Amino acid sequence: MNDRATDRVLIDQWREEPAPLLPLLHAFQERDGWLTEDVLRAVSADLNIPLAELFGTVTFYHHFSQEPPGRELPRVCDGPVCRFQGAPNLIEKLNAKPMPCAGRCDGPVPVLQSDEVLTGTSFDQLKTNPSPLPPPNPGAIEECVFAHIREPGRATLKGYRETGGYDCLKRVLAETPEHLVSVITESRLAGRGGAGFSTGKKWAMVAKAPGQPKTIVCNADEGEPGCFKDRVLLNYDPHAILEGMILAAYATGASRGFIYLRYEYPEAQAVLEHAVAEALDAGFLGQSICGKAGFDFDIFVRRGAGAYICGEEGSLLNSLEGKHPFPRNRPPFPVTNGFEDLPTAVNNVETFAAVPPIVNHGADWYQSLGSGDHAGTKVVSLSGDIQCPGNYEVPIGLPLKTLLYDWAGGPREGQSIQAVSMAGLSGGFLGGGDLDEVTLDEPSVRSRGSFLGAAGIIVFDERRNMVDVAKNAMAFFAEESCGKCFPCRIGTERLTERLNGSALFNDSDSWHEEVADIEKTMMATSACGLGVAAPNITRSLQKYFPEQIAAHLK
Amino acid sequence: MITESKPVVTATMTLDGREVTYTEGETIYEVARRANIEVPTLCYDPRLEPFGACRLCIVEVEGGRNPVASCTTPAVAGMVVHTQTEAVEKHRRTLLELVASENPEENINPLRGYASQELNQLLEKHDVQPGRFQGKHSGTSNKDDNPFILRDYNHCISCYRCVRVCAEQEGDHAITMMNRGFEKQITAEFDIRLKESACTFCGQCVQTCPTGALGDRKAMRAEAQKEDFKKTRSVCPYCGVGCQVDLLSKEDRLVGIQPAMDGPANEGALCIKGQFAFDFVQHEDRLSKPLVRGEDGKLHEVDWDTALDRAAEGFKKVRQQHGNHAIYGVASGRAPSEASYTMQKFIRAGFGTNQIDNCSRA
Repeated sequence: MNDRATDRVLIDQWREEPAPLLPLLHAFQERDGWLTEDVLRAVSADLNIPLAELFGTVTFYHHFSQEPPGRELPRVCDGPVCRFQGAPNLIEKLNAKPMPCAGRCDGPVPVLQSDEVLTGTSFDQLKTNPSPLPPPNPGAIEECVFAHIREPGRATLKGYRETGGYDCLKRVLAETPEHLVSVITESRLAGRGGAGFSTGKKWAMVAKAPGQPKTIVCNADEGEPGCFKDRVLLNYDPHAILEGMILAAYATGASRGFIYLRYEYPEAQAVLEHAVAEALDAGFLGQSICGKAGFDFDIFVRRGAGAYICGEEGSLLNSLEGKHPFPRNRPPFPVTNGFEDLPTAVNNVETFAAVPPIVNHGADWYQSLGSGDHAGTKVVSLSGDIQCPGNYEVPIGLPLKTLLYDWAGGPREGQSIQAVSMAGLSGGFLGGGDLDEVTLDEPSVRSRGSFLGAAGIIVFDERRNMVDVAKNAMAFFAEESCGKCFPCRIGTERLTERLNGSALFNDSDSWHEEVADIEKTMMATSACGLGVAAPNITRSLQKYFPEQIAAHLK
Repeated sequence: MITESKPVVTATMTLDGREVTYTEGETIYEVARRANIEVPTLCYDPRLEPFGACRLCIVEVEGGRNPVASCTTPAVAGMVVHTQTEAVEKHRRTLLELVASENPEENINPLRGYASQELNQLLEKHDVQPGRFQGKHSGTSNKDDNPFILRDYNHCISCYRCVRVCAEQEGDHAITMMNRGFEKQITAEFDIRLKESACTFCGQCVQTCPTGALGDRKAMRAEAQKEDFKKTRSVCPYCGVGCQVDLLSKEDRLVGIQPAMDGPANEGALCIKGQFAFDFVQHEDRLSKPLVRGEDGKLHEVDWDTALDRAAEGFKKVRQQHGNHAIYGVASGRAPSEASYTMQKFIRAGFGTNQIDNCSRA
């Protein structure tokens, strides 16, 4: 009977809140360790979600558990970088559950247990280590989102305000929302989650779309293996993100905001919740922000539960709404039919963080940060076989080799670089002469059949078996495929089998023929970016490492 | 549902070189269907919300980078669409070969369900090369021993038509999609059997399944009889809704029932009774002739007049001994309105009591 009473308390605490399902399930999992049948029955009844549907949705996520040890079970990152630095050993030692890349590729292997992240390369070295800051900028290259991130105390309101944080709000609120939109449009800021859509245009569309209330969503579900740029912004500069969201709310007329944070960043959740509370106290959130009558905006932090596809905006919105997190069919787009079918701007963490500096320094300033004709900067998460892994904010258009050799110190002692991945894993690999020629901008990277995307770059030196790397990458996509569209659901599985040797072939021609057919159809017909991008792995493998494939097929 | 009434807007687009008119809101697929252009699909059911899973209905839209799923893409004025280009046909074949590769090759008996031949027909039509893309099979069959619905998920292709018809048409929300990716599995909550779930055994999941992964167990009893079945259009006798059905018969025996997808009252829906409860038709206990009980305590066949006289006599006796209100009429829920009307007249005017009811209250 006591338990039921507690169920009641938890349900009553959340049921009237916006987007209640995920936080309510987390609250139960925190209380019991896992989600019991009784809990799901209670949630189903009170949130009015059919039980079967709720069950299906819960099974979609990695980290919701329906049996012990559940939440307590250690999860060890077995992403592409951690695999090389002791993850398999740790998994065995801890009897742990492997988890896909947890966004700590610039340090030792992360182990997530309850809400604690320990890191280490071996069992006896595991301890809590602060999330690594970006390495120092290697010269007089001006930064946008990282300009102040290394300052101690930056994550607090006091620290943020020391460099003029939130100061621009009063000024902006005195002008029209259209003016703000035009500044952002002129800056040529484009979606830093990787899709590269003009932020100003997106906001203008949301502002114009009929329907209230409108919503701002910060996509902090950074799940791409080899990408950890949002983590550092979330941990060390949360107010910049909040200020960016507040400005977006003013630009679009939105009154509610969500930060959809990946499960694997529990420290960031604490930092964000603290920052939101501080901003609310200081009058930068809530009713009549900065005294401007009628400008009301609230931000809610929602923690995901482990699903790469929830970084796709349609899945993210379905997940927030408590639905099965399949991507949505487009059109319509979120700008008109987003959260709860109302106009919604979904932007990446880095995009929001770039907005306050742009508003402070002007559109021209931001544009000028890019190299040549390119506008602005991009944070690159660099990891793997490189001297100085970490997040680097580079001028868009910087040569890749400048980043690899001048900024990050080049390969490890005595090794040479054979390949790098692009867009985390989604862009596949670059190798050979392209490593010397490519510049870090979409036109250049795309001309090599890849894309920059969210700009995770993993370095692989000569010691690595690229077929093995590709196999693990494809297994990741297969594991994370939502299972809705046929080409991705079956294609990622079949490509994995063709890389891991479980599918047998009489001759290599038929291997190549089948792989090429799957690739073409996945790229042309998949319903979302996951299935469109996954074949970049095998395509680039064939392009740069035909001899390694030949050896694999022997 | 109250919706704002919008004016009906029509416009034109080009479909395989023909100019066609459409109404705003129609998808490319719907326009193509109306224009009698056949576009293949496996996840589409006209009664359900567009879903966009199988991608077989892709078409090329001039000016677009990739083909689009015609079932989820709205028609736009001036759009130029090609439904049958070489590239599109090649993708369709690859998709079909991929789908075929996830399941064992097997001929599915059409008694399993209305749509059970869809996949196999498409494989044939698109000249699919068997044996390509070999690998792991998906789906685990469920040992659910209910008498009505076979759950042979070895043949499941994860189109989710069953889940969607259950939610969108029947409103039961009894089944769901568990896990994700290639491990996706159709099940009820906590993987329980249908009997313990919210399933009402309406059978709509069975009839929309395009592979026979869900099968009509009652009809499947006649699989061994090798002759083809005949379909006879009829109306379900159970209640007054008037659901249309196709009676499946082999020789002179009724072996199964399928809902009429074009039945105006039901559009492919039935309930558990209409779908599965037909054994009475040929049951040996079924009354087919009037019987009266003799002095020996046994039932004897008689003509109708004799039987009706005996019934009238019984009513009269009860009325005389116990009064009008000792009589209570219970009309059959299967009776149409006219018969129900006659029944209540019979009780109220004939016997002078208002004690008339209907069996559906029970």
